[in-house]
Amino acid sequence: MASKLGYSAAIVGIGRCMTKRDDAEKLTALQLGSISSAQAIQKAGIKRSQVGAFFTGRCPTSYRTLQYNQTLLNELKIAPIFNTEVTAHGAGALGTIELGVLAVNSGLCDYALCVTNEASGVWLKDKVGQNAAGESNPQFEAPFGPTTPSLYAQVACRYMHEYGATSEMLAKVGVESRNWAITHPYAAMRNRGKITIDDVLNSRMIASPLHLLDCAVNYPGGISTAFIITRADLAKNHPNPTWIAGFGQQTTHEWISERMGAYDLDPIGAEPNLTNTGCATAAKQAYEMSGLKPKDIDIVQTSAPFSFVHLMMLEELGFCKKGEGGPFVMDGNIDADGGLPFCTMGGYLSFGQMAQGLYNLHETVDQIWGQAEGRQVPDAEVGLVHGHGGILASHSVMIVSRERAA
Amino acid sequence: MSEPAIKLEDWAQGIPMRAGPVSLGLYQPSPETMEYWRGIERRELMIRHCGHCNRFFHPKRIVCSDCGSPDLTWKKAAGNGKVYSFSEIHRAPSEAFAKGAPYINGIVRLEEGVHLFTRFIPDPGLVKIDAPARLDFRVLESNWLLPVFLVG
Ligand SMILES: [Zn+2]
Repeated sequence: MASKLGYSAAIVGIGRCMTKRDDAEKLTALQLGSISSAQAIQKAGIKRSQVGAFFTGRCPTSYRTLQYNQTLLNELKIAPIFNTEVTAHGAGALGTIELGVLAVNSGLCDYALCVTNEASGVWLKDKVGQNAAGESNPQFEAPFGPTTPSLYAQVACRYMHEYGATSEMLAKVGVESRNWAITHPYAAMRNRGKITIDDVLNSRMIASPLHLLDCAVNYPGGISTAFIITRADLAKNHPNPTWIAGFGQQTTHEWISERMGAYDLDPIGAEPNLTNTGCATAAKQAYEMSGLKPKDIDIVQTSAPFSFVHLMMLEELGFCKKGEGGPFVMDGNIDADGGLPFCTMGGYLSFGQMAQGLYNLHETVDQIWGQAEGRQVPDAEVGLVHGHGGILASHSVMIVSRERAA
Repeated sequence: MSEPAIKLEDWAQGIPMRAGPVSLGLYQPSPETMEYWRGIERRELMIRHCGHCNRFFHPKRIVCSDCGSPDLTWKKAAGNGKVYSFSEIHRAPSEAFAKGAPYINGIVRLEEGVHLFTRFIPDPGLVKIDAPARLDFRVLESNWLLPVFLVG
């Protein structure tokens, strides 16, 4: 049984714009955001004056302005009554949609435009150095020379120690991500062929226990996706609304080592630890709001930049018990052939990762309407999308559905 | 050799932190953490303490997480701890750090109950979870004098 917010709003227009590193004329994040937003407004069949709420993910790393939400708003010539940039790191991408649902249900406006845009893969160099500076505490972590993989590796180290996950189990995620990526026309690794568990284990060590093929690929391009959200009574006037069945979000910390200063909080528990994340809370809320359970989900996307994170998220999203993500994937449960359709674009490991994005949600909507750009999952009607911001600090979960449940 | 010549009046401007020619972003020794950095210059590891709750905190804490009191004081950590988590870094963030690679960064649990990010140096034992670790001070590749932990 869905709660009051469950199925209270729907996606009624989507726009997307992409650019590639080797394009003759490369587009900026602002160009991508403007073009995709205009497209979403057009697809929804509304006028720009009807956009009452406007939420953007955090400012693109490749297009720094002080108030990016207004930078983009200025291009679109819209005049929303609610607008803000949603941080919550990478989880803020789905957070834009969550705020959109709340705004259109407030009774103060009818349509929300939610946009994320990033073109870091085109315009930024030296991701290793940049990430080390951006994802570590400048006083208490950065002076020791961390990299992003080595910060996530702290969690991997504890996860493997506490639950007995092995490097082979981690590697299996990379193998299946690649199996999906080779079917997707926009995946970074689409032409690189299949890989084996041994290929992952034999790839060079980046930050123990993470090998090169345990790590996300920096997406060699830019993508913007834009969504028009409206409430239930208006959604019925639009063709093929995609219902937002439920959603949830939680943020627990800023820097990973300071996460160890948090205690007496759900989902951490009484003692500080690195292995219980806000994904569990976000998932619980999304399931309760929608009245759905993990067994009702036909297709799943997670924004996991390293192999082991997929195992943790499969557990916290309820597809297996805590600590059993490794055996779950080794038993074939996320196999591209016959398993739960999981990271159907190839995930961050093989489709590629950008600093933020809603391309996971776009893919999910395409899949449940039978319009996948890559391999189509048969009979997918309900999809779950997980968004996350480093380092396992912020989590969003959203469940979307082709049918509106009561 | 050790570089943190900290001028409090500069903190709001941010001091660019560099490792050799490579910028690591903004290093900001903010007023609330100055005593931590002064302690390092004396080769002492300073952490925060709430006298009401008798609980120790990360040097960055401003209010007690238990009672909410802002009356936290600075205490010198004994310097004993255990390895909580670690990673051996093979691909370093910059040329300067690459000279020291592979090296091991991780989280140490001090006997006071505080967790800190640090550099682990295998001396004399190997770095593994729960191995005993004791405080030392070293100038790392960033050219900063920092609190590190010798393991084994
Ligand atoms: Zn207290």
